Amino acid sequence: MVNEKKLKFILPESISHENVSFLLREIQNHMQKDSNIIDFAQVTRIDTFGVSLLNHIKKSFKSVSFINIRPEVSELLNTFYSPAQRSDSDKQDDSTGNILEYIIEKFSGLKKSTLEYLSLLADEIYYTVQYIFKKRGIPPGEISNQLFLMAYDSFPIVCLVSFLIGVTISITSLDQLKQLGADIYLADLVGFAMIRELVPLMAGIILAGKIGASITAEISSMKVMEEIDALKTMGLVPEKFLMVPRLIAITVAIPLLVGMADLVGIVGGLLVAKIFSDIPGSVFLEQIFKAVHFSDFLIGLIKTMVFGWVVVISAGYKGFSVGRGAAGVGIATTQSVVMSISLIIVLDCIFAIILY
Amino acid sequence: MSEIIRVQNLEVGYGDEIVLEQLNFSVEKSEIFVILGPSGCGKTTVLKTILGLIPPISGDIYFFQKPMEFLSEKSMNRIYDDIGVLYQTGALLNSINLFDNIALPVHMHYPGIPEQIKKEMVLSRLSQVGLETSWKKYPSELSEGMKKRAALARALILSPKVICCDEPSAGLDPITASRLDDLLLDLNTLLGITFVVITHELRSIEKIADKVLVLHNRGLYFYGTLEQLLETDDEFINDFLLKEKKDA
Repeated sequence: MVNEKKLKFILPESISHENVSFLLREIQNHMQKDSNIIDFAQVTRIDTFGVSLLNHIKKSFKSVSFINIRPEVSELLNTFYSPAQRSDSDKQDDSTGNILEYIIEKFSGLKKSTLEYLSLLADEIYYTVQYIFKKRGIPPGEISNQLFLMAYDSFPIVCLVSFLIGVTISITSLDQLKQLGADIYLADLVGFAMIRELVPLMAGIILAGKIGASITAEISSMKVMEEIDALKTMGLVPEKFLMVPRLIAITVAIPLLVGMADLVGIVGGLLVAKIFSDIPGSVFLEQIFKAVHFSDFLIGLIKTMVFGWVVVISAGYKGFSVGRGAAGVGIATTQSVVMSISLIIVLDCIFAIILY
Repeated sequence: MSEIIRVQNLEVGYGDEIVLEQLNFSVEKSEIFVILGPSGCGKTTVLKTILGLIPPISGDIYFFQKPMEFLSEKSMNRIYDDIGVLYQTGALLNSINLFDNIALPVHMHYPGIPEQIKKEMVLSRLSQVGLETSWKKYPSELSEGMKKRAALARALILSPKVICCDEPSAGLDPITASRLDDLLLDLNTLLGITFVVITHELRSIEKIADKVLVLHNRGLYFYGTLEQLLETDDEFINDFLLKEKKDA
C-alpha cells in the first residue's frame, strides 16, 4: 500500500468497514510531516466507514493531498465532510487551564440553586397560607387525592420498615444489655431510638424515594409536555396549583404515619424482648412510658414534618427546573431523591446538635 | 381593523443566547396570523415570548395597545384573560378527565359559578370541537387529533379574543389536520377570534392565513399577506414552500 519512493499511499480497490482500522493504522504510521499523497486510482468502492476515514485523514494531516480521485468518490467525501473539530488534546489543555474557573462556576451555581430553593420555599409558605385563608387556586379534591397517595400508599412500607428496624435494634442490643444484666433497658433504648431518631429518619428517606420521586417525575413530565406552560397561560400559578395540595397532604399524613410507625417499631422491640429475654410485655411498655415522654414524640413528629416538607420542596424544585426532553425527567428524579436524602441527613445532624 | 399584538425591536432567546433579533410586526383584530420558518428557527420561542413564558432579551410587546409587563403577575393575568393557547402537545392535564380539563379555567377563575352552568359551558365547547361524547375520557384515551381539539375547547372556554396555536397540525393526518383548519376558520369567521398560528403545512397556510411572518437567519425574513408570500420570487421562500408542496 505504501510506495516509499514516491511517498505515496495507494489505496486499495475497496475501502469499507472491513479494512478501515488497518488503513488508519498504516497511514498514521507512515505519514510524513512535509507532504503526503493519497492515490485513489484503484478505488472503485467506498462505504461510509471509508469516507469517514478519509475525511479524518484530511482533517488530521494538513499536508495530505488526494490524487486520481473519481468524481463520484469526491462527491461522497464532500457530502459527508464535517467541519474540523478540536482534537482531544486541545480540549484537555483547556480543561486543565480552567480548573479554577470550573470550581468558581460550580460554587456560583450552588449559590444560585440555594437562592432559588429558598425562594421556592418562601413562595410555597406564602401560597399555603394564602390558600388556607382564601381557599382558592388549587383544584377540587386534589388534597384528598394527594393525602390518599401519601398516607395510604406509604403506610405499609413505612410500617414494615419501622417494624424491622425495631426488631433489628432490639436483637443487636439485647445481647450487650444481657451481659450487663440490664436487659430491661432494652425498652428505653427501643422507645427512645425509634421515637426520636429512627422513625423520623426512615420515614423521611422512604418519603424521599416514594413521594419525592413521584412528585418530581410528575412535575417534570408536565413541564416537558408543556402542561406547566398551559397552566401559566390559563392565569394559574403552577407552584401553587401543584405544590400546595402536596404540602397540605404531607402535613396531614405525617402525624398519622409517625404515630403508626412509632407503635409498630415498639411492637417489633417488644416481640424480641418477649421471645429472647422473657421480659413481659406489660413491663416492657411500662418501662417505655417511664423513659419516653410526650415531648420526645413531639420532637420526632416535628423532625419528620420538616423532613416531609424538605422532600416535597426538593421534589418540586427539581421538577420545575427540569431541562428539556425525556432524559431530563430521569435526571431530575434522581437528583431530587439524592438532594432530599442529603438534606434530611444534614438537618437530622443539626437537630441532634440543637436538641441533645 | 385594530391592533391586538405589536412587537417592537424584539430580541428573543434563552439566557444570553440570542435566537432571533430585530423582530417588528403586528397582529390585527380578527386576522389569522401565521408564523412560518424552518425547524429550529425560533418560531416557538417567539410565541412563548409573546405569551410571557420566556422573558425577552430586549424589545417591547404590546397587547391591546398596552405594554406587556413580564414581571407583573397582575399584568400577565389580565393578558391571559384574553388569550387561549393550543400547545403542540395539547398539554391537557393527564391526571384529570376531559370535562375537568376543559372546566379547569372556569373553576379556577370563577369558583362561584354553579355546576349546571359550568357543565353547559364545557359541553358546548366540546360540541364545537366535536368531542361532546368523550367528556368522561382521560387524555391518555384520546388520539392525537382528539387531544388537539380538546385543547382547543379548553382554549375557547373563557371566550378569549386571541388564540395562539403552536403547530396545530403536527402529528395529524391530512384529513384531521384539514378539519382542524376548518374549525379555526369557523371560529375566526363566526366568533371573530384572532389566531396566531405556527405551522409548516403549506395546505394549512393557503387555507387559513391572512398574514404571514417568515423567520429565517436569526430574524424576520418575510412579513406580508398570503398573496404577497405566494407571489414572491425569493429563492428561500420558494424552496421552503416547494419543499412543503412536495412533502404534502
